[in-house]
Amino acid sequence: MRSAPTPHLDVATPERVALTLPVAGIGYRCLAWLVDASLLFFFWLIAYFVFTLLVSDVLGVFQGLSGVAQTLMVVGVFATQWLYWTVSEVLFHGQTVGKRALGIRVVRWDGSPVGVYESAVRNLCRAVDFLPMLYAAACVSMLLTRQHRRLGDLLAGTLLVREERIDLDKYTAAPEAAAPVTSAEGARTLTPEDVELVLSFLSRAPGLAPDVRQRLGARLVERVGPPDAASLAAVLASAESTEAFLRARVQGAR
Amino acid sequence: MATPLPAYVARRRQDWDALQALLTRQRAGTLKLDELRTLDTLYRRASADLAHTQTFYPGTDAHRFLNQLCGQAYAAIYQPPRERWPAVRDFFRREFPATLRRERGFVGASAALFILGLVLGAVVVLWEPQGAELLVPSGVRHYVAQGRMWTDDILSVAPPNSVASGIATNNLTVTIVTFATGLTFGLGTLFLLVNNGVHIGAITALCAREGMVGGLLDFIAAHGPVELSILVIAGGAGLMVGQSLIDPGELPRGQALALRGREAVKLVLGCAPFLALIGVVEGYVSPGDLFPTWMKAGLGFALGALFWGYLLRAGRTDAEAAGTPDDSAS
Repeated sequence: MRSAPTPHLDVATPERVALTLPVAGIGYRCLAWLVDASLLFFFWLIAYFVFTLLVSDVLGVFQGLSGVAQTLMVVGVFATQWLYWTVSEVLFHGQTVGKRALGIRVVRWDGSPVGVYESAVRNLCRAVDFLPMLYAAACVSMLLTRQHRRLGDLLAGTLLVREERIDLDKYTAAPEAAAPVTSAEGARTLTPEDVELVLSFLSRAPGLAPDVRQRLGARLVERVGPPDAASLAAVLASAESTEAFLRARVQGAR
Repeated sequence: MATPLPAYVARRRQDWDALQALLTRQRAGTLKLDELRTLDTLYRRASADLAHTQTFYPGTDAHRFLNQLCGQAYAAIYQPPRERWPAVRDFFRREFPATLRRERGFVGASAALFILGLVLGAVVVLWEPQGAELLVPSGVRHYVAQGRMWTDDILSVAPPNSVASGIATNNLTVTIVTFATGLTFGLGTLFLLVNNGVHIGAITALCAREGMVGGLLDFIAAHGPVELSILVIAGGAGLMVGQSLIDPGELPRGQALALRGREAVKLVLGCAPFLALIGVVEGYVSPGDLFPTWMKAGLGFALGALFWGYLLRAGRTDAEAAGTPDDSAS
């Protein structure tokens, strides 16, 4: 049995099932922040040009607007500095644009979605997490805590969980039409690990170098129980026949 | 022994896909009532499947997939009630003032620290004029040496509405930082409170020596009472955070911190709209000679009295007025 190697969040649901959600590490979080920061940067680059256009009043039609524009500029800088994070986390189920791009999400320590208070706390604390420069305090805190939480997360009682894109198609991919070898009836039943191993090999096989593909296939055939000596040669004759045998083998009991 | 994994996945996959589709629509907020019931049923089935895979196929991709699916469905089904407008109204009508009254010890301590700084700064400058070079920013010293108020120039550089919004956002930032630095075991908040007090005390004393205290009071009178109150309240919130770190009580430090953080941020969020309003006063009313001093002072006292009247009276229930013990007295 393989236990979760990475830090994780355990949640006991009222249905008496234990959920184990993977926690997003420092790398994911830094990348997500970079995405958000560059988004805000480009937003302000554009806003700045519009603003200077209004103030310098090249076209002479914005006379009355420049005061309003300055107000908007000041309020806008404040909003991107403090409000952007909280507003998007509350409205988009714990995700800012960067977090969505990286597939991570803010949740409370019990796995439920963040509310206004939690999101406000963790984002107001960016002021401290940023100290002394470039989120140094946050990085130290993330490295020291078990679930990679920065100071704002500790204060708000939140953490970030990762959402993986898991492809279930590999389990249900149809066996190749004309499987030359039938599965070996009566062989030992495969453990889930064997099935997993074979399936991941099959999904990767087309991308492998021919000799590696052949060699790995042969070792897997050995592992899941070789057919009798007569058909062994036929199975190992080509990569295609080897993989057809393996596919038939893991889906044998259907 | 259970069925082989691929067969199991093939048999159950339809339900999982349906649940995933429903969750996507739930996030978009376009679910009907009967679909919601289906979501609930499918979630329960997926939970059962998760328990099944946990036992028979642990560590496989199918297990991880169900983990994630159930996690998303769990978040959707057991999400806390949304804060909507009635909740906001209730927050300002009852919760914010009630929290402040409950945590009055911290706000009092914060006020004491601020006043300590004020007195220190004033005493140093009155006693030893050289101290002003250390404590008062050079720009302000420059103006005072010329016998002018630095605040007179605020209006001449920009139209007043952008001044007001600039002041409001700057004050908000100062407030937030004062609160957030409570995470440094309260030391940051402590420093900022005393430091701000020293600055203001030193500037006042310097103006008094140069015979300009009238001008300073003229500038401060309208917005000072409320603005400094809010700084003190945010300082109180920062001290709450620091206290929970130093003395978490019976809870683990992390939980105590999260619990107190939720309370503390209420104080900061509650102050935000008042800071924005007082920024408008500071931008429009305080600088210049548009309003006579007595009018500014009157406005300042009225606003201060209103603010504190609201904080001390609003949403006071009979039980609280009768003096029942607080649930979080610390």
